[in-house]
Amino acid sequence: MATVQKYFDLFHDKIKLGRFDEEDTLRDKRRIVREKLLANLPGVFEKHKEKNLVPTFRDQGSYAMNTGIKPLEGDFDIDQGVYFESSVTDYPDPVVLKERVHEALDGHTKKVEIRRPCVTVFYQDGYHVDLAVYSCASANADKQDYLAMGKVGSEEKYRVWQLSDPTALTDKLFERFDGDDTGRKQYRRVIRFMKRWKDVNFVSSGNGAPRGIGLTVNTHDYFQPNYDATSFKLDDLTALRDLAQAMLDAFTSTWVFAEWKFIRRLKAQLLVTPFNDVYEKMTSKQMETFEAKLQELCDALNAAIKEVDTRKACQLLRNVFGDDFDVPEESETARPTPPPVSTHSQSA
Amino acid sequence: MTPNLESTSPLVYQLSDGRRIKLTAEVVARLQRHAQHAPDAAEAGGVLLGRYLSDSDDLVVDDITEPLPGDKRGRYFFHRAQKNHQQAIEQAWRASNGTRTYLGEWHTHPEARPTPSCIDTCDWRRKLRQDQYFERLFFFIVGTHEVRGWSGSRNRPKPIALEPLLVS
Repeated sequence: MATVQKYFDLFHDKIKLGRFDEEDTLRDKRRIVREKLLANLPGVFEKHKEKNLVPTFRDQGSYAMNTGIKPLEGDFDIDQGVYFESSVTDYPDPVVLKERVHEALDGHTKKVEIRRPCVTVFYQDGYHVDLAVYSCASANADKQDYLAMGKVGSEEKYRVWQLSDPTALTDKLFERFDGDDTGRKQYRRVIRFMKRWKDVNFVSSGNGAPRGIGLTVNTHDYFQPNYDATSFKLDDLTALRDLAQAMLDAFTSTWVFAEWKFIRRLKAQLLVTPFNDVYEKMTSKQMETFEAKLQELCDALNAAIKEVDTRKACQLLRNVFGDDFDVPEESETARPTPPPVSTHSQSA
Repeated sequence: MTPNLESTSPLVYQLSDGRRIKLTAEVVARLQRHAQHAPDAAEAGGVLLGRYLSDSDDLVVDDITEPLPGDKRGRYFFHRAQKNHQQAIEQAWRASNGTRTYLGEWHTHPEARPTPSCIDTCDWRRKLRQDQYFERLFFFIVGTHEVRGWSGSRNRPKPIALEPLLVS
C-alpha cells in the first residue's frame, strides 16, 4: 500500500474549520447577531404588546461538534441556537416567535429570511448565520426543548413545535469514543473527509446531495477506527475505504408502489428525537446517484490502497476529494541516493 | 496468472521480504515494443531508472534506457556499452536531486517465458559486485509472453526471482 497518511494530514489541515483558530470572521458575525438580538428584541416585543423575552444562545451543528469544514465557494455558515424562556402554549404558532427574531434583525444585513427550520441572516461576503429558535425546557411542562418549525404562509400542519435536542445529539454522536481519544480524533477527520467528498462530487442545491448531518450519522454508525495500537499512527485511507464499503453494504432494496420498482436506499436515522431519517427527502433518483458516487469513492480508495507509487495514489485521491488534496512531485516521494554507476553489461 | 504483454497496465512484483516494485504502464509499453516476436528480431536491453519511495519500502521503475549507439545486438545476444547509458543515468539522477536512480538492467529473450542464461546470471553477479547502486539491483527479461524479474544485492549476490502480483 502506498503510504499516503502524510497527505491526508495535509488535506485535513487545509479543509478543517477550526473552532478556535482563524475563523474570527465567523465568531464576530455570531457575536454581532447576538448583540443585535439582545438590543432590538425588547422594542419588537413592546411594539407587539408582548412580554419581553431575553434569549440565551447555544452553539449547534458542526461548529459545536468540531466537525466543520471550509466551504468550497466561501459560503461559510454557523448554526446558533436561540432559546426563549416561553412555553409552546405561550406561542401556539411557532412562526410568530420566528417573525419577532426576523424583525429584530431585519435591515441589519443584506437579507434576513425565515426558513422552515431557522431564521437565516445572510451577509454580503457569503457568510450566513442560521438561527434555530427554541422554546426552552424550563418553560415547558414536560421539561423538553422544542424547535420552532415553519414559514410565514405555510400550512398549519407545517407550523409546529418540534421536540429537538441538538446537545443530546452531539453527546450521542461522540459517546462511542469515550476513552478512545485517537479513535475520536480519526472519527472527526473522517467526517470532514466525507463532507468534503460530498461538496466536491454533488451539486449543492436542494436534496440532491446527502446532507452533512446524514454523513455524520452514517460515519457514527459504520466507521471503525484504524490506527496502530502501539504508535497510534492513523491509517485514514483504510478507515475511509472500510467506511465507504460498510455504507454501500447498508443500502437496502425496498419495493416502492408509486414507482412500481425496487429502490435501493441508505438511511441516516437521527440518534435523538424525532428519530427521523435525515435522507427521507432524497428522491429515488438522488439515492441512485448517491450510491453510484459512493461506489466510485470506494473504488478509488481501493485503487489507492493497491497503488505502489505515492504520487499516483495521491492523484487517485485528488480525483475524489478535490484540489485541496495535494499531489507531491515525484522527487518528494523518493529517497535521495548516492551517485549511481552502471558498468557495461552483456546478456544472451 | 501471468501478466499479459498485450495490455499496457503497469506490472507489480513482490520481493521475498514483501517489498514491491512497480513498472509503470509507460515503461511496460516501451519494454513491450522490444519483445522479440519477429523471427529476425534482435535482442534489446538497457538500464532501469526509478525511485526508492520514502513513505514505504516499495520502488517504482518509471524510466528506462533503450539500445543506444555503441551497443551490439544479435538474435541471441545483447552487449550494452557503458558510456551512453551512464550518461542517461547521471542526467536523470541530477535532474531529480538524486531521487531518480539506477535500479538495474533489462533485456529481451526470444522465448515466451524467459529464463536467464548462464551468461546472464554471471553478468548479474559481476554487476552486483562492480556497479555503484543503492541497496539492490533488479534484472528484468522481456519474453514474448511474459516479463520476469530477479533481484540481488551486494550481500546476497544470487538473484532471486520476483513474484508477479495481480493489478487490476
